[in-house]
Amino acid sequence: MGFHIVKRDNCPLWQKCCLYIGAVLLAVVIGGIVLLSIGVNPIKYYTRMFTMGMIGNRIAHVTFMNYLKKLVPLVITSIALSLAFKMRFWNIGGEGQFIMGAIASGFVALKWGNVLPMWLSLIIMCVAAMLAAGLYGLIAAWFKVRFSTNETLMTLMLNYIALHFLMFLSERKEDWNFFLDETSARPKFASFSQFVKMPTIKIGAKFELNICVIIAVLVGVLVFLYLKYTKQGYEISVIGDSVGTASYAGMNVKRIILRTVFLSAALIGLAAACRVGTAGILSTSITEDVGWTGIIVAWLAKLNTGIIFLASALICVLQQGSEVAASSFSQVSSSFANMLQGLILFLVLAADFFTRFRIARAKKGEKNNG
Amino acid sequence: MANKQHMVQVQTENNENGQNYAIEMRGITKTFGSVVANKGVNLTVKSGEILALLGENGSGKTTLMNMLSGIYKPDEGSIFINGSEVSIDSPEDSKKYGIGMVHQHFKLVDVFSAADNIWMGRENPGFVLKNERHSAIEALASTFGFELDPRKKVYNMSVSEKQTLEIVKVLCYGAKIIILDEPTAVLTVQEIEKLFSVLRRMKEEGHAIIIITHKLNEVMDISDRVAILRKGEYITTVNTSETNEQELTEYMVGRKVDLNIDRPVVETTRPLLEVRDLCINNDEGATAIDNVSFYIRGGEILGVAGIAGCGQKELCEAIAGLRPIKSGQMIHKGDNIVGLSPKQILEKGISMSFVPEDRLGMGLAPSMSIVDNMLLKNYRDCKGPFVDRKSGRADAMQVIKDLEVVTPSADTPVRRLSGGNVQKVLLGREIKAGPNVIVTAYPVRGLDINSSYMIYDILNKQKTDGVGVLFVGEDLDVMMALCDKIMVLCHGKLMGVVHAHKTTKEELGLMMTGALDLKDKYEDKPAGIAKDTRFGEQEAKEA
Repeated sequence: MGFHIVKRDNCPLWQKCCLYIGAVLLAVVIGGIVLLSIGVNPIKYYTRMFTMGMIGNRIAHVTFMNYLKKLVPLVITSIALSLAFKMRFWNIGGEGQFIMGAIASGFVALKWGNVLPMWLSLIIMCVAAMLAAGLYGLIAAWFKVRFSTNETLMTLMLNYIALHFLMFLSERKEDWNFFLDETSARPKFASFSQFVKMPTIKIGAKFELNICVIIAVLVGVLVFLYLKYTKQGYEISVIGDSVGTASYAGMNVKRIILRTVFLSAALIGLAAACRVGTAGILSTSITEDVGWTGIIVAWLAKLNTGIIFLASALICVLQQGSEVAASSFSQVSSSFANMLQGLILFLVLAADFFTRFRIARAKKGEKNNG
Repeated sequence: MANKQHMVQVQTENNENGQNYAIEMRGITKTFGSVVANKGVNLTVKSGEILALLGENGSGKTTLMNMLSGIYKPDEGSIFINGSEVSIDSPEDSKKYGIGMVHQHFKLVDVFSAADNIWMGRENPGFVLKNERHSAIEALASTFGFELDPRKKVYNMSVSEKQTLEIVKVLCYGAKIIILDEPTAVLTVQEIEKLFSVLRRMKEEGHAIIIITHKLNEVMDISDRVAILRKGEYITTVNTSETNEQELTEYMVGRKVDLNIDRPVVETTRPLLEVRDLCINNDEGATAIDNVSFYIRGGEILGVAGIAGCGQKELCEAIAGLRPIKSGQMIHKGDNIVGLSPKQILEKGISMSFVPEDRLGMGLAPSMSIVDNMLLKNYRDCKGPFVDRKSGRADAMQVIKDLEVVTPSADTPVRRLSGGNVQKVLLGREIKAGPNVIVTAYPVRGLDINSSYMIYDILNKQKTDGVGVLFVGEDLDVMMALCDKIMVLCHGKLMGVVHAHKTTKEELGLMMTGALDLKDKYEDKPAGIAKDTRFGEQEAKEA
């Protein structure tokens, strides 16, 4: 009497939800066992981590504002990546495109930040970032449609070119290099003028909502509508499903690929502009790995725009929370979040398997006729 | 996995000679989700017997055989081999019990030679010199009357050579029970005859053979007994000598079916699509279509016959504008269509539907719903940036109703539909667009009798409406009954155009292999060039 795996016909929504929530919980439990083994009370640790230390904290609103600052670039990047992934263009160059966007908006901020009115310089920053990132993404797309190169390798390599370009800017003390702080003898990025800062909206007595949050929500809604209802969105899903069918239907596949990748990379540039605009300074770690984490988020959410918000919120809580918790639990490094993130991804993929298959027991047949 | 090996000696019912059956399957049930692929199936094969397994598409033939070859495990039921109950957990187990399966899609390594493909899967290969291996294989092949060059690389082989290799492979592993899944689907008439004589030889040697096929004439020709499945259920087993095609069809379909294909006589128009001296390259840059000329009139079905892969796909793609042509001319109603984009050709009313081997590759987006697939060719027509799903839904409902598509809803992804319904959706959409030339390749590929006849009816309906149809087909019997004229290709060369009611299967078979060239049969009229051609009209227009 053996067990074997059988394909499921369909899996009701509640069952799927249970499986995914179960996967996340299981990841937390496994993480808890690890915590126990190094002598940390997992319940205390998790309480601190998942609340990001906000309970009973006088400056909880600051924590939450910082949390949103982290969340916005991740959400926009994940949504942007999902756009390309939907077309089966494996853009893993989010990091590079983000950096190019950041450099472009830094360029605008440092060059004209003092001269132009704030709203104008912010808009130019966003546009410049989108153009720079979009064109940077277009390189890989162009090579793909022209020479059918592998976009995964191309975008990956372009990440390192972008990163080293940024490092070059950060280290090279020259007259032309206005990215650096002139007053400092040591090479160090210059801060933007106080007039280049993403504006905030005051809600209540203390809380200030950064305008980038609104931008992120807006991008989410627009991309959702774009993919679901527009002709261009329709073209993207047909190409993602079958390139043969798309060209057979008379679509200009090459142009659509170029267009979509540009759009995807440009949105990543927008995320970079938001990040730079709130930070007010460039840095070599400006991306905070959103180009990578965004890939995980997009896949956890199965490219579903709505769920991307949920998944990135969760991932951000893990990252921010583990940093907060690390200050009160010295044994646990803040990288614990990475481990938990990996566990969640693994187990959600496993849950995925169970939404499509189930385990069944083999029965013996009745021997009634032969 | 200790129980894997267990072989319980159970006394099974013996056949009349007092011998055990080579294979006995009892009460086999297998489900995939809520789909019941096999339900209480019983099957017996003796040694030295050819059993034909007959059933419509989706009746569970392949599933049943996959349980013998260790790919699936039955949910219920037991399998006996030579009288002892066995549990086949993997393809290795299956090999151990002497079962060999030749799959419909060959499982060979392209860059290996025939000998390497065979030796790769041997249980105890040992140290055998290459030459000895080659002579061992040659010796085995010749005992059964196969011709096989062990040194030849698979990518240089024709389809029939690949199939020979697959059969020799399972024989080499010592298989006593051989299962062939639709072996004749890709062969020419002559090759089929050769295969059958080899099968008879194997039968004389005492092998048990199970052959899956759709073609009733082959069943009558080769088998000793016929087992019939319908919708996963076991219907009966009959002796071939005591039955006929009509009866078998009734068992298979469950009701009386008229096996004749209509060929309505329709008044034809001047040529709608004319192709002259067309040369096309394939993906590798080799010549796929070599100097081919033909024409299609409105109100006629022109069949394209040829061995698989002799340029049919490239021809269809070139007409649809998906593949650049090397030289030659294509005119549609007097207008040149060479160099137009697929979209422009579509707008001229030329529809192409190609059903590839996996049945989903071209023409449909498998993960998208029927509604979205309906929109594929006309989503641009409405104004504004948004897709008009309302009209797509209406079209989808219409096609579902007209062509009796079986689907839970219009929002079901196309890949969840069964093969016949997928093809109905594809053809339905093409016809909906109101084309004047339909190019259709393998529209009944893998379909059961009912669905096939429905597709023939659809095509005939189009023909009577004055549409010109180019029908690329596989089954010569069908083509001879359905088409008005048949053009035959061999390695991309035109071998002639014949009238379907005047030709014979043998003649077509010879033309397909290149042994007979009827291109210049009539001195005054070369094949494929119409007397009332529209060539010249185009120049007149331009002047």
